[in-house]
Amino acid sequence: MEAITINIINIVGSSFCVEAEDGEKVFVLINRLLSDHKKVMLSFLNVEMLTTAFLNTAVGQLYGKFTEDQIRENLSVKDLSASGAVSLKRVVETAKLYYKDPGAMERSMNDILDE
Amino acid sequence: MSILNNINNSYHGYQQLIDFYHEHKDKLFDKIDLELEFWFAANMASALGGILDLLNENFNEVIIKSIQPDIEKILLKNEFLSYFGHPSISDDYQTTIKFQKLKPTDGKFFNNYVMNELLDRSELPRMSQLVKQKIAEKIYEIFVNAQIHSKSKHIYTCGQFYPKKNTIEFTIVDMGIGFKKKINERFGWNLDATQAIKWATQDRHTTKIGVPGGIGLALLKEFVTLNKGFMHIISDNGLYQFDSNGEQMHHFTRSFPGTIVNLQFRTDDTGSYTLKEEIDLNNIF
Repeated sequence: MEAITINIINIVGSSFCVEAEDGEKVFVLINRLLSDHKKVMLSFLNVEMLTTAFLNTAVGQLYGKFTEDQIRENLSVKDLSASGAVSLKRVVETAKLYYKDPGAMERSMNDILDE
Repeated sequence: MSILNNINNSYHGYQQLIDFYHEHKDKLFDKIDLELEFWFAANMASALGGILDLLNENFNEVIIKSIQPDIEKILLKNEFLSYFGHPSISDDYQTTIKFQKLKPTDGKFFNNYVMNELLDRSELPRMSQLVKQKIAEKIYEIFVNAQIHSKSKHIYTCGQFYPKKNTIEFTIVDMGIGFKKKINERFGWNLDATQAIKWATQDRHTTKIGVPGGIGLALLKEFVTLNKGFMHIISDNGLYQFDSNGEQMHHFTRSFPGTIVNLQFRTDDTGSYTLKEEIDLNNIF
């Protein structure tokens, strides 16, 4: 099955992909396509600025809806800068941990009080 | 007459701004005279702008009466004073990063601002394009944090470029809920202000419900370490300072009515920020 390409810049309407709200628009689209068993290619072509806030909502949230295997199998990315790839990797690792252990935040107070 | 004397990026400077706010916060339909003496770090205009707006909300008129000529010049150039009845003047040496007051929904205006005031500035010659890009990214992460979390009516930003010191100082301010209240309400904890800020700066710590996050401030700390700049976060009565030597925390005698994120970046940073290992896009998920 050929992947459907999502041009991020077109969904956001700007080369600055920074706001969480804009990430939500991308998430809604990917969510719909993956739920429909489609393969998705995310193209970051011409994206000039990316934040983790944007990527958390656009991609991070997917780990709450789909398994890691489903995402690995059906989602791919292209035209992402080296620095964007670092941010995305960080977002993905954070999301995996977040959904594996939903109670972690509640316990995290100890992270600072134990020091 | 209230006097702000030597406002710089220090505990003493922040405390003076907090004291000025508390001195006048209960006034209604009043005239408040303010004098700026000796020094006022241009980037701190964003914190003063936020405070003056709160005082204006109570129908007070704040008159900035006496300003040292050097301070006045810089606050005219960065257009801060144009919000308070003064004309703006042109910045021949192009060292200011303009004072801006934005609604949280004005993200697109902020894009233009970052582009015009930072990324497209050819007069920042000593700064590599990569470092410029990195700095802009970090500034964005903070702006977006304020958008998502602060519940502030406005977000205030201002900066200054110091060619001789090879630094950029940039400050983002909101007059919203603050770290302590936000975090304690979310989790039912009882952290003090500095504990709350410290918690928020740690990797993967987020108050968002159902959405992962908490990376922006952690990335900022990592960049500040590499770039040898600093970050100060003032929220409620807490000051959290972080630089390449580590972190320090202090308490003020009273609370700032919002959050100040004050950043210093080194523009002579020659770091290549190359990646230790290239990330394989085919294996990113």
